Amino acid sequence: MATAVRPAGSESTPSIGRGVSPLRAGEGNSFLLRKFHSLSGIVPIGAFLVEHMLSNFEALKGPAAYGAQVKFLNSLPLVRVLEVCFIFLPLAYHALYGVYIATRGKSNVIYYPWAGNWMYTVQRWTGYVAFVYIIQHVVRQRFLGTELPVHPYAAFHKVQVELSNPWMLAVYAIALLAVCWHFSYGVWLFAAKWGITPGKQSRKRFGYVCAFLGVVLAVMGLASLWAFVGGKYPNVPEDVKPEQSLVIGSANAGNVQG
Amino acid sequence: MAEKTIQLEVKRQASPNAEAVWEKFELEWRPGMNVTSALMEIAANPVDASGKETTPVTYDSNCLEEICGSCAMVINGKARMACSALIDQLEQPIRVQPLTKFPVVRDLAVDRSVLFENLKAVKAWVPVDGTYDLGSGPRVFPQQQEASYPLSNCISCTICMEVCPQFNEATGFVGAATIAQTKLFNAHPTGKVYKEDRLRALAGDGGVQECGFAQNCVEACPKQLPLTEAISDVSRDVLIQKAKDFLRA
Repeated sequence: MATAVRPAGSESTPSIGRGVSPLRAGEGNSFLLRKFHSLSGIVPIGAFLVEHMLSNFEALKGPAAYGAQVKFLNSLPLVRVLEVCFIFLPLAYHALYGVYIATRGKSNVIYYPWAGNWMYTVQRWTGYVAFVYIIQHVVRQRFLGTELPVHPYAAFHKVQVELSNPWMLAVYAIALLAVCWHFSYGVWLFAAKWGITPGKQSRKRFGYVCAFLGVVLAVMGLASLWAFVGGKYPNVPEDVKPEQSLVIGSANAGNVQG
Repeated sequence: MAEKTIQLEVKRQASPNAEAVWEKFELEWRPGMNVTSALMEIAANPVDASGKETTPVTYDSNCLEEICGSCAMVINGKARMACSALIDQLEQPIRVQPLTKFPVVRDLAVDRSVLFENLKAVKAWVPVDGTYDLGSGPRVFPQQQEASYPLSNCISCTICMEVCPQFNEATGFVGAATIAQTKLFNAHPTGKVYKEDRLRALAGDGGVQECGFAQNCVEACPKQLPLTEAISDVSRDVLIQKAKDFLRA
């Protein structure tokens, strides 16, 4: 009788089960979660970043203009709803799912030090920097201290006090560069991964566009930091009045203020 | 004694669960040597650098001209084909180890069946099997042939997967090779009958979305497949397929 008898020791033959598992064809929700993560980085988070940079740029015009911008933003209809739905929730999702993505990737840039691989790694590092920075930034500037939605004209003072610590200024500058990098490369990645720029040439060209975008945002951000610490508006008081900007520099400014 | 010798270090492992050890070899230099031919020399005379007798090194290889995809291994820290890794162009001692992301069978031979499973999962073939003559297939225009030919060069060596930071046990990413083959067969006039199935498969966990666009695949591919372009194109097709499915449901 030809019964198949396994040769001795065959119990330890290589098990196929080890190693990276094959594609789970059509299963799970990671596609949707990943695409939403990708999209949320552009809108609304990226759009908010651009708005934030533009608003901060108003600081160069002085404390009153900066306060007016803060007041304008806080006067948008349903502003608290907008804040939660288009800033806090997407940001929390992007941050948490982003950390989940980053921890599952195994960077090998030491063995394969190629440009794209560096960008992959830096995108994760800048993401971590942004994660830590944004938590402290939101807690300290939005939820602690003077309530800016109620007292928008105290904004310049609040930021200036924060940046008067040179360590904090360094944290802001580093985080600013990290965030601008993360966003501009994120836009490039979005175009590449959503099939908008499949060609090598188109990716290269769009790379220049994104680099330009990143540099512009970073320069605008650094200039805004300068507005607070550069000495043009020293020791701005907490109770800046909108009228003040009209009379600043005039001899009877003190009289007008009474 | 030979005038010129080469130094080779091979990471060896007697069985899938055995501990790996590095073994040193010193071989006589010959003109035009490559890593596979060096491994053949060891097989012919399995003696290590200290003169101690050992076993021949187990490794996969077949064509010896970078067309079969068998002999992928990590040479001096980089995944590449051993047959096209010329000894004269490598820094010595040459360190040879198995691919790191696949289970070791023995020595340099690894189990790469995950790629076969992935290709099956996306139906990477043209379905023409039948019991009667179906006649000649539809024409493939020269423009499409030009576009498809580079993708058809894939040799299933798995180097694109080995070098990918996203291809690991945590993600279970499908890898660039399977995505490129999806593009190839979706573009074929008969193969595209499975286009929707392939795209839906690639939206599963470990699918095309896991790509982090580090672009190592396209850098390392020994056959210069346009892998990043394929990933970009297939990602868009998968997204459109998912959107259609959502709206038609």
